[in-house]
Amino acid sequence: MRYKVLTVDDSKTVRIIVKKAFKSFDCEILEAGNGVEGLAVAAKESPDLILLDVTMPVMDGVEMLTKLKSDVALKGIPVIMLTAEGGRDNVLKIAKIGVRDYLVKPFKEEVLLEKCGRVIDLKPINDAPTKAKSIFDPADILVVEDKPAIVAQIQDGLKHTPWKVRGVSTQGEAIDQCTRGIPDVVIVSLSLPDDAAFTLFRVIRTNIKTKYTPVFALVVKTETAPQQQAQTLGFTAIITKPIDLGELETKIAKAMNLDTSKRYFAMEQDCLVIRLPENCSPAVLAELAGYLKPKFAEAVDSGFNKVVIDIHQLRSLHMGVIKVLFQGMETCRDLGMKFGLVGNAHIISECKGFEDTRSWTFYESLEEAKAGVGRSSAAVPQLAGVA
Amino acid sequence: MPVTAEITETLIRDYINRAVSDVFKTMLGRVPTFSAQEPLRGDEPLPSPEGHRPQVVGTVGFIGDINGLIYLHLDLGFARICTCHLLGMTEAELDEAGDEVINDAIGELTNMTVGGFKNGLCDAGYPCKLTIPSILRGSNFSIEPISSAVRHIYYFDCAEHRVVADILMKSDE
Repeated sequence: MRYKVLTVDDSKTVRIIVKKAFKSFDCEILEAGNGVEGLAVAAKESPDLILLDVTMPVMDGVEMLTKLKSDVALKGIPVIMLTAEGGRDNVLKIAKIGVRDYLVKPFKEEVLLEKCGRVIDLKPINDAPTKAKSIFDPADILVVEDKPAIVAQIQDGLKHTPWKVRGVSTQGEAIDQCTRGIPDVVIVSLSLPDDAAFTLFRVIRTNIKTKYTPVFALVVKTETAPQQQAQTLGFTAIITKPIDLGELETKIAKAMNLDTSKRYFAMEQDCLVIRLPENCSPAVLAELAGYLKPKFAEAVDSGFNKVVIDIHQLRSLHMGVIKVLFQGMETCRDLGMKFGLVGNAHIISECKGFEDTRSWTFYESLEEAKAGVGRSSAAVPQLAGVA
Repeated sequence: MPVTAEITETLIRDYINRAVSDVFKTMLGRVPTFSAQEPLRGDEPLPSPEGHRPQVVGTVGFIGDINGLIYLHLDLGFARICTCHLLGMTEAELDEAGDEVINDAIGELTNMTVGGFKNGLCDAGYPCKLTIPSILRGSNFSIEPISSAVRHIYYFDCAEHRVVADILMKSDE
């Protein structure tokens, strides 16, 4: 939902500053130069919030506020005063008419946004909505943990990614780091003293700039009470210790809404190549399965009609893998694409043990598959038995 | 009914110092330093700037239990810098936008400064309200107040520029 914010101020400078403050948020800024114009715009546009000055020509802010509050249709619109009129008595008098907040000029953009953020749900605009950030793009992960070994473990486990993992040990340091630069993900240990993790979570969620930053809870697997508390509060994900680093990576990627397809899919020469990793956990398979149809469609759309599924890195075959492979083959058949498999000796032998995969044939290398697919049917698995 | 404090020269100096500092720090990220003070008689004009450099002067009054007017003098170069900073504009964009934009920005800076000053007076027991800003421009002019006004002039140095706050006050007896 795109919020409408009406700024009523006779100074164009203030209206521009307000517009500038909101430019990175999904808001429409409406303007009026005095109370009369303000009432007219409010009646026409029904804004979600009004920022109102006091001293203005034609009709001042106090009169506009009084009229607004006596109009049945408009009195529900929240008003924040933004004015240089700030004497105690003036503020009290105006507050009695009914305002949500009062901000005395001069003001900082952050303070204005923070106050407005308490009234409307300010959502940042994604600068590049059409192109998702990829798994190969840098990201900033902040780990708030007072046990250096855990920070080191996470840094080591994610060192193959382009992500920068910073570790801090206290809530104060974490807030300081968030002020300097907004992290893409915050991982906070629930074992920090004095419930600091929950306090930090609230601070992050009340700050307009970090309101939507994913926050993970880090907790020992058997400690269920803090896990429940974290879930109730709305932590983005729970990571249990001992940490499964593969799972952590997947959850981070998911929380950042990253395009992870490049992990598995590549357009090479005239083929779409799909590479299954060594360890195909349920999370990996779910991720891969989600990309199958769009990636195949993208390949066909770009003029590719050959697919090579490379499973030579795979350690062992199990039903989850077989299901995804069948899904891929089905999609190929639906789209009229030719496909081939590349495997290792162990996997090929495992295939013989399953009814559904017994008839599968494999190329020995990727190069051989790229050259062979489409020329002969030797390595094309039979689809008999596909559920 | 708030207890009224006596409006002493020290009180006025503190209020204007705080108001100018707050506005310039918050809105422009600059720290002005209080420079000097020249007490003038009510009918004495403010000395013209050296070499009659072009000035932009914002004026905002306050009316109520105490009445007065504050002129905030900035040389044109600094007024342009302040405007660019406030609005996030380049010098070229400012040239294109014209003088009206500078007038509005300096008017608003003056409004905020006088607001800070007069809010102090309100809290000291002298309720009053702000007036709408106006702008005076030129390079060779003097402001001559009426003799019954009490006048205080304060100088501030800010990023190699001088800002002058010229305060004229008349209290209702």
